[in-house]
Amino acid sequence: MSAVIEIEGLRKTFHGPYRSRHVAVDGFDLLVGRGEIHGFLGPNGSGKTTTLRALLGLVRADSGRMRLFGEDVPRAQARVAARVGAIVETPQFFGNFTGHRTLRLLALAGGVPTRRVDEVLAQVGLLDRGEDDVRGYSLGMRQRLAVASALLKEPELLILDEPANGLDPAGIREMRDLMRSLADAGVTVLLSSHILGEIQLICDHVTIVSAGRRVAAGPVAEVLAGHDQHEWLVRVPEPDRAAELLRAAGLAVDERPEHLVVGGVSDAGEVSRLLGEQGLWVRELVPLRPDLESVFLKLTDGGVRDEEAGA
Amino acid sequence: MNLVRAEWERLATRRFMRLMLVLLVLAFAVTAVTTLVGSHRPSPDEIVAAQQSAAQQRQALEDTFQQCLAAVRGTLPPEEAQDYPPNCSVFDPGQRDRLPVAADHLQGVFTFADQARPLLYFLVAFLVLFGFLVGASYIGADLSTGGVVNLLIWRPRRLAVLGAKLGTLLGALTLLSVLASAAYLGVFWLIGQGAGLPGATGGDFWPGLGLIWLRGLVLVLLAAAAGFALATLGRRTAAALGAVTAYAVVWELGLRVVVEVVGLPRGEDWMLSTYLDAWLTGQARLSDATACRGVSGYCDGNYQIGWGLGLAVLLTLVGVLTMAAFGAFRRRDLS
Ligand SMILES: Nc1ncnc2c1ncn2[C@@H]1O[C@H](COP(=O)(O)OP(=O)(O)OP(=O)(O)O)[C@@H](O)[C@H]1O
Ligand SMILES: [Mg+2]
Repeated sequence: MSAVIEIEGLRKTFHGPYRSRHVAVDGFDLLVGRGEIHGFLGPNGSGKTTTLRALLGLVRADSGRMRLFGEDVPRAQARVAARVGAIVETPQFFGNFTGHRTLRLLALAGGVPTRRVDEVLAQVGLLDRGEDDVRGYSLGMRQRLAVASALLKEPELLILDEPANGLDPAGIREMRDLMRSLADAGVTVLLSSHILGEIQLICDHVTIVSAGRRVAAGPVAEVLAGHDQHEWLVRVPEPDRAAELLRAAGLAVDERPEHLVVGGVSDAGEVSRLLGEQGLWVRELVPLRPDLESVFLKLTDGGVRDEEAGA
Repeated sequence: MNLVRAEWERLATRRFMRLMLVLLVLAFAVTAVTTLVGSHRPSPDEIVAAQQSAAQQRQALEDTFQQCLAAVRGTLPPEEAQDYPPNCSVFDPGQRDRLPVAADHLQGVFTFADQARPLLYFLVAFLVLFGFLVGASYIGADLSTGGVVNLLIWRPRRLAVLGAKLGTLLGALTLLSVLASAAYLGVFWLIGQGAGLPGATGGDFWPGLGLIWLRGLVLVLLAAAAGFALATLGRRTAAALGAVTAYAVVWELGLRVVVEVVGLPRGEDWMLSTYLDAWLTGQARLSDATACRGVSGYCDGNYQIGWGLGLAVLLTLVGVLTMAAFGAFRRRDLS
């Protein structure tokens, strides 16, 4: 599987007033293979949007190497642009133009047949509002228009920065279905979002960034497995005695009001045998698998931006 | 090419552009209608009377010139001779821009040949303002609403994108100026034919008018490019308006006062309006109050700045602004 996006050591510093500097992206790496639906996660201000802007040639990186379809960008940006559809944050559109005209002008400028406009409007469910001024669109409708603009050129790579922003539950589901069908058609998708459940549902790969640096990357299942502490929830009649027994057997036990959390369990049968032998019959034994949220919060220090995180 | 087509459509559908077009047509209609209402075809008697008045006036001018020549030759009594300067060219009727004609003495008659110039200057002034505002708002609105970012994701060559915008703008303004001038002068010419006098439209009248028009067109394009460049540099329409207002207040007004108070020589040389005047009218006639200090005898301190220098200054200024705008746009971070 060849890489569609390769980023190595990307660094971007913003210069503020009075010579202040702010490192937004700090030696970041990203690898997205062809056909992946790749989740791009990180707390607010961790540098996701900045990374995507740099990749699209909208901001100038200080250093690092970026390649799209194997071609160095921004040098080859013009060559690969036609293959990349992107939205970066919620794009602003000219309020006085209708949704249809907005897309038509982009299609004209990009050399895409203008009949695509109606097709993509239908794809995002905006066809009946296409002749209204963008000024009158709701947040979710603007977001749909933005996604439509990214789909216009039938891209091989779709970069979506928080596409679910402002969408209603039905919209989120439609977006998920849309992405699935695009992925089935062979489109590579890079998706940044804060809705972790959504990412876990549709993405096969993820990269987690914190304070401008990559803190985890890989197939979703592997990233989750890497943080699996083999914990089990155990419910027994005499928790205190059970905890003692299990500790004596060398297991880590955390006593909670209603149950015990037992860590380092390689075989759950061992737990029930240990307790059963002492007449403590296990009422409930449930594996505690990590989800993306717990891994995310752990890796990004509770989501609070911290300059030292990932160092 | 696609880019230009898209930009053309974008420009044509801009609400601001349409508003300005409506204003143009409105201003145009109001002047045409008031002119039409206030003008009539002169009767033969009126014409004869006017011709006589004009002839008298021309004779008076010629007499003064001859008096001056006589004063220079010394054939005039000294008390009369001292009214004349040593150089009589200012009185030479042959060197005047125009001589009095019958039309000057006709009341309530629109004479096309006499009114064409001021009318054209008015149109040029409107188009210059129009060009500047459209130039600034066209790119300014695109930059501040993020429309440019959307476009750059499609067409990452920034200079080509900005160039297509500027090129389309200038092309559209040229076309508009041609059409507007033709319609405008055409209507007034018809009014002159039907409800007034055509006047002396022979000789170098049309070439002269054409030259003014050409100069006006260049000015319109320069104004548009300047507005475009200033708004690009400042990332919004207001930046261009602010820059021009600041220049007008601080420089044209403030500095002018300072120059006069301090008594610096040739303060006008530092004003952009001088070069605008020089380019548009062919020559800026200026006077330098300080030149006559300590000079006894006749001294008017007059001097001229020609259109060549005027154009050079304007071109340099707009050229530098445009290059700065393209340079900044090529490198800057967009979000
Ligand atoms: N144009 C800019 N000028 C100055 N600083 C900027 C600029 N753009 C981004 N930053 C800073 O860079 C850092 C990263 O911002 P970025 O927008 O990339 O974060 P993000 O991961 O997309 O956050 P979010 O999840 O909130 O969208 C932030 O601290 C932000 O303040
Ligand atoms: Mg962001």
